[in-house]
Amino acid sequence: MDPINPIKLTIDGKEVATTKGKTVIEAAADIGIDIPHYCYHPKLSIAGNCRMCLVEIEKMPKLQIACNTQATEGMSVLTQSPKVLAIRKAVMEFLLVNHPLDCPICDQAGECWLQDYYMQHDRQASRFEERKEHDRKREVFGPNVVFDGERCIKCTRCVRFFQEITRTNELSVVNRGDHSTIAMFPDAVLDNPLSVNVVDICPVGALTDRDFRFKVRVWYLQKTPSICPGCSTGCNVSVETYQNRIARFKPRINEAVNSHWLCDEGRYCFHDLTGGERLTTPMIRQEGGLVPTTWDKALGAVLRGLRGATPLAGVLSGRSTNEEAFLFAKLMRKISPDSALEVFYQERELTEVEKILMSPDRSPNFRGAREMGVSSNGGFETLMGKIFEGQFSGAYIVGEDLLAMDNDQERIRQALQNLSFLVIQDTRMTDTARLAHVVLPSTYFGEKEGTYTNRNGRVQKLNAATIAPEGALQDSEIFIRLLDLAGDRVAYSTAAEIFHALAHEVPAYHGLDYATIGAQGAQLGGGAGQS
Amino acid sequence: MEKVLLRNIYVPGSHTLAVYRSHQGYQSWVKVIKNLRPEQLIEEIKASGLRGRGGAGFPTGMKWGFVPKDSPKPKYIVCNADESEPGTFKDRLLIERDPHAIIEGTLIAAYAIQSHTAFIYIRGELAFGAGVLERAVDEAIRAGYIGKNIMESGYDLDLIVHRGAGAYICGEETALLSSLEGGRGWPKLKPPFPATHGLFGCPTVVNNVETLAALPWIIEHGAAAYAAMGTEKSKGTKLFSVSGHIRYPGVYEVEMGYPLMKFLQEDCGGVPNGRKLKGVIPGGGSMPVLRPDELEKVNLDYESVQAAGSLLGSGGVIVMDDTTCMVRAAWNLARFFAHESCGQCSPCREGCHWMEKIFHRIEQGEGDEDDLDLILNVSGNIMGNTICPFGDAAAMPAAAFIKKYREEFEAHIAQKRCTVRME
Repeated sequence: MDPINPIKLTIDGKEVATTKGKTVIEAAADIGIDIPHYCYHPKLSIAGNCRMCLVEIEKMPKLQIACNTQATEGMSVLTQSPKVLAIRKAVMEFLLVNHPLDCPICDQAGECWLQDYYMQHDRQASRFEERKEHDRKREVFGPNVVFDGERCIKCTRCVRFFQEITRTNELSVVNRGDHSTIAMFPDAVLDNPLSVNVVDICPVGALTDRDFRFKVRVWYLQKTPSICPGCSTGCNVSVETYQNRIARFKPRINEAVNSHWLCDEGRYCFHDLTGGERLTTPMIRQEGGLVPTTWDKALGAVLRGLRGATPLAGVLSGRSTNEEAFLFAKLMRKISPDSALEVFYQERELTEVEKILMSPDRSPNFRGAREMGVSSNGGFETLMGKIFEGQFSGAYIVGEDLLAMDNDQERIRQALQNLSFLVIQDTRMTDTARLAHVVLPSTYFGEKEGTYTNRNGRVQKLNAATIAPEGALQDSEIFIRLLDLAGDRVAYSTAAEIFHALAHEVPAYHGLDYATIGAQGAQLGGGAGQS
Repeated sequence: MEKVLLRNIYVPGSHTLAVYRSHQGYQSWVKVIKNLRPEQLIEEIKASGLRGRGGAGFPTGMKWGFVPKDSPKPKYIVCNADESEPGTFKDRLLIERDPHAIIEGTLIAAYAIQSHTAFIYIRGELAFGAGVLERAVDEAIRAGYIGKNIMESGYDLDLIVHRGAGAYICGEETALLSSLEGGRGWPKLKPPFPATHGLFGCPTVVNNVETLAALPWIIEHGAAAYAAMGTEKSKGTKLFSVSGHIRYPGVYEVEMGYPLMKFLQEDCGGVPNGRKLKGVIPGGGSMPVLRPDELEKVNLDYESVQAAGSLLGSGGVIVMDDTTCMVRAAWNLARFFAHESCGQCSPCREGCHWMEKIFHRIEQGEGDEDDLDLILNVSGNIMGNTICPFGDAAAMPAAAFIKKYREEFEAHIAQKRCTVRME
């Protein structure tokens, strides 16, 4: 793109200023004119095969595809002329010639571009009376993706995604004419870390998500913009829920973070994070084990126990928000100024394809939490080492099941059992929680409002997509009530209020405003919006 | 008329280097490489008026002139020997009988654009011809016409014979390039055009066999001699493959502008068995059919055939007498195009098969009266809206058969059977 080469053209009579090198479809999109298309995708090479974006251009005898036509000075484009509307109708008819029209049993129904464009541009009974060509149905491409050849419109978005984005080249088009179909080599499996993105970019019901399909019709979904809690890349997602349960994640476009994509691991991470039976009442250790108690008793016991068990260690989940981390640090330092605090953090090796999107950790907010003061010299591993060495008498562990870590389980169990007082705050009765003196039922990422700061310092907003069960408390409320008990009554309670306070107290966050972080996040050291 | 293209084919052993050389063979190549600068050569071919013989009739010299001279990328010349247009078999004759003329023409074209790698992309089914070409290339390499520092000129050129895998679409130049690159034989979007972004993204010229085979003669006799033949806009001579209901089918070399009916009746012996002429497809299966009344004033040049409502195309003249069922003929062609559509873009992928199915239904006596207008509408929706000219190639003949023989289609539909062959 050449920013010093401005040009002007008119689209549907509107004058458009753009730059040389942009295509007509891009120039139109910039002023909010959406030229219908299937095969065009802004992040993939131009295929020009669907012919849906044919437009009329003055002085050109034939209609031109907007996706492959460069905008030029003085060009006049018509996207709604009778000729253009006629060809759209014709292309829709062609695309539906061999389509099975099985919308009632198709998982794509409700978000299918064939349905949408049919309603906008076709709206006629089929004139095709011949036998339809058949193709492969329900072919399992891999662990997450299933293919229906009859619904496929051969736009090749999936083929190009694996050629150009992951460079794994699993799919290609085989056969000719109306027998053309998408296929893999014999015995190949579509199992790369980004495979499900093709389900998102498939405009029709040809590629569907094996995890999500048939769970719920998409028009029942409630969509909440949020952040993927899978790792510290902080991919922007839409958390889509049905009857207070997360049904799926879909990526939200954010060019500063994840572009249009989402990795498979992140996409499905909500299963592990939300599964299992929820804790809905605080528990306290008595002779014979953990027994239910009231919040007042539990919180009183926590404060007394921690005060009597210094030196203290505090371990915060990598999925805790900045607001929670801010309060946790305040609380722990109030109880004992020498508390050693850290955020859970573990790295693993990533493959080249994983590196396209994924970060090596599983702590989406490790950076933000540490900036809030949940940090000590040497990081998480050093803190764990000190716990092993028995340097602490008490510990407060939030949202992490340390016994589920890959190695050292027996050592961790021994070390935690040697503590004189252990508080576990979590959503489920984990193995670690079974060792606690007090267990506090809390919330998971999908029930929280607040902010995450990703690995690259982008502050992004988490929104509550589901409602926490009765009896569990928001982590921030637990910390505020404990601070109150400890004699430090804070003047804020909502995420917005806490953020306002932390933006005041934490230098790196000075000047940030909760309301203006918006759907695209704000870069630390920069303004809101695009970085 | 002096033969330009068929001058050697009846000479015994014409496919060998020795015989080719004894008939001035490679003298033009020697002349070009020793005496002409590339731009002089391009000017000479422009002056000859030679137009591409693959079907589109684009001026050859102008096509060469589009290749950027200052590109840092390698340049390629490709001889399109993927002859597969229904009713066309002229290139095959040249390949089998006069391979050195094609090779010499390819070398001249390569020199014109200063390409150092040339390809001959030959249709997979032409196995015999491929062997002939390969042996001829070997001979030319051994004789020093191809290779490094050709005839001490400092000019290097490689020539590679590549066999296709049997797809009609690979005769379309960008599909040919995709195939030559090792990919699926899918046409590429234009722009960019092959002259700047062709084979492997490099500047490329694709010329038809017949076009290239004319070059040695033009260099030998001069552009003026070539331009002296033919009409004002269609210069020189052209090969016609004549087939169907004709007494002497075969390949003919004809001066451009020759009257079509005279050609069919006198040169080709007319329609045999005392039958009446019913229609002629003048330019290969993808061109509109012409009725006898439309043929009267047609001459064999690009402009005259176009004025009559068809196109000269590849010069595949298919003659049909009055025993021909036009419904069946239309279905036959529709079936070919449905089978050969590459499937890349929606209108062609779906439309060709749709038309084929309707034609088939009509032919089977199961058509209804709306079908004809439906085919016309579908063909109109394909026409001009596809990635490559294949869509037009399928749509044009379908529409032409219905428009020109509508009463026969209607009779077929009404009587639910063929009304021609029952007579």
